[in-house]
Amino acid sequence: MARNGCAISNHRTARLTPGDILDKYRGTLYTLMVVTVLMIAWYFAAKCIQNTLLLPYLQETVKEFFTAWIDYRIMSNLALTLRRVFTGFTYAFLIGIPLGLLMGYSQTALQSISPIINSVRQVPIMAWVPLSIIWFGLGDGPTVFLIAMSAVFPLVINTISGVHGIDPNYYNAARSMGASLPNIIRDIVIPGALPSILTGCRLAMGFGWMSVICAEFIATSAGFGFLMVEAQVRMETAQLYALMFMSGLVGFVIDKGFLTVEKKLTAWRYKDGVIGS
Amino acid sequence: MALLEVEAITKIFTRKKKPAHIVLENMSFTVERGQYVSLLGPSGCGKTTLLTMLGGFLTPDAGHIILAGQKVEKPGPDRGFVFQNYALFPWMTVRDNILYSLQVKKFSKQEQNERLQELLEISQLHGSENKYPVQLSGGMQQRVAVVRALASRPEILLLDEPLGAVDFQMRELLQEELAALVEGAKTTVVMVTHDVSESVYLSDRVIVMSGYKGQIVKDVYIDLDRPRDRQSEGFKAYVAELTGLVRQAFREKTGEMESVMSLAVPDTDYNSPATFTDAYNRMNSRYTNDVSYSRAVK
Repeated sequence: MARNGCAISNHRTARLTPGDILDKYRGTLYTLMVVTVLMIAWYFAAKCIQNTLLLPYLQETVKEFFTAWIDYRIMSNLALTLRRVFTGFTYAFLIGIPLGLLMGYSQTALQSISPIINSVRQVPIMAWVPLSIIWFGLGDGPTVFLIAMSAVFPLVINTISGVHGIDPNYYNAARSMGASLPNIIRDIVIPGALPSILTGCRLAMGFGWMSVICAEFIATSAGFGFLMVEAQVRMETAQLYALMFMSGLVGFVIDKGFLTVEKKLTAWRYKDGVIGS
Repeated sequence: MALLEVEAITKIFTRKKKPAHIVLENMSFTVERGQYVSLLGPSGCGKTTLLTMLGGFLTPDAGHIILAGQKVEKPGPDRGFVFQNYALFPWMTVRDNILYSLQVKKFSKQEQNERLQELLEISQLHGSENKYPVQLSGGMQQRVAVVRALASRPEILLLDEPLGAVDFQMRELLQEELAALVEGAKTTVVMVTHDVSESVYLSDRVIVMSGYKGQIVKDVYIDLDRPRDRQSEGFKAYVAELTGLVRQAFREKTGEMESVMSLAVPDTDYNSPATFTDAYNRMNSRYTNDVSYSRAVK
């Protein structure tokens, strides 16, 4: 009996009250309320305008949105686009992180490379399209290149600022404890710059996802961006709307994923191991 | 032979478009094994520069530093350095912070664990070894910093204003903790401080440095029993004597920096005790560029 009672009281202290749950999801709840208001506004606006080419009916768009997730053609194109994004991101990561670490750590490297980086990144990403088609032809090549191109700069810049943000005394402390240069890179530079690097990853992924859709408008005949152009040409505006919402949602989910990884990997920044809040 | 020999060292900072600043000139002293020595003086007197050179982060322009027969040229695990802000690696647990010097030297797991247990014992940090620095109180962080510096069994422990960032109430408590910790480790210590009472409480010997080229004003041995009683007459007498010496050193410093100080405290009578303390504290807070080692990286 006594053991039982104890178990129950433990259970009670762990259980969330309705108030706690409300507090936890308050933000989500508010967002849903705003979305509902916007949808109601849309519903009536579409009724007033009566032109489905400009503003499709809400119910039709919602239908398109949900059927899209079970549509084989849309899903395979989405998968293709996602694969391109991850490939491009991987290239950007493999180039951007070592370059950023080098430029952050060595003043000479920073001074010699940063003017080049800072001028190359001023070229609008779409201005690379013609050249990338000349280089890689049509298909995966130019899209992957454009993703890597737009993702590499936030990675480099955030990695540099991450390395610069490391307290100089961490280097001194490590050296006074006998650390060699490889030790310092592994134990001080990389973990010290990690929060910034992960922020760079989030930005890079966002830029990559944005530029892939644009790239697919022009440089390929497949992919999520291509589907959008197709929907526009066929004057299926409701589907175009649905695809746009999907691209926003997918980008949001990827970003949330990165945020979770970031908090896991840098748990040492949070008191009492409390992650999130 | 003394454990640490500082022989006629000179350090000059050259600055852009300004005359070169002689921080230390021809300074010599020795420290015996087991001694707890404080370097006391106004900010800008070169005491931190001196400690930074003992640590090997800066090299003297003339003269040399010899520790246990070896010339000090670069940082190394024979000297344990405790930084003003502790510089604990926030991404490592207490355990990994403490054992860092053993890990880079690839000590066996067993040796590491044995050393960890000893260090946790003297720092009373049992149960916190898997926490991250952010989860610790200021006092616990200080103890981690000290035992981390002790882990490699250094010849000497170098403390740079270890309680500089701690508020007044906390300070005395942490001084007691530090005294117990250092006594338990039976190590030689050189500590930089600008707190007179702190230097008397902790040290066997206090070297008072003047603001002018870091000359040694006086070398005072503190002949009091431990643990020390801050209320005792002997303690107060030492504090009074050293305060007088620092005041004198400070005046020499202000002579040099007259123009700067006249901006900060106009029409101040540096001889009156109240304004002295005020101006002295002000100076210490103004010249935080004392931490010259922080840029001596790379």
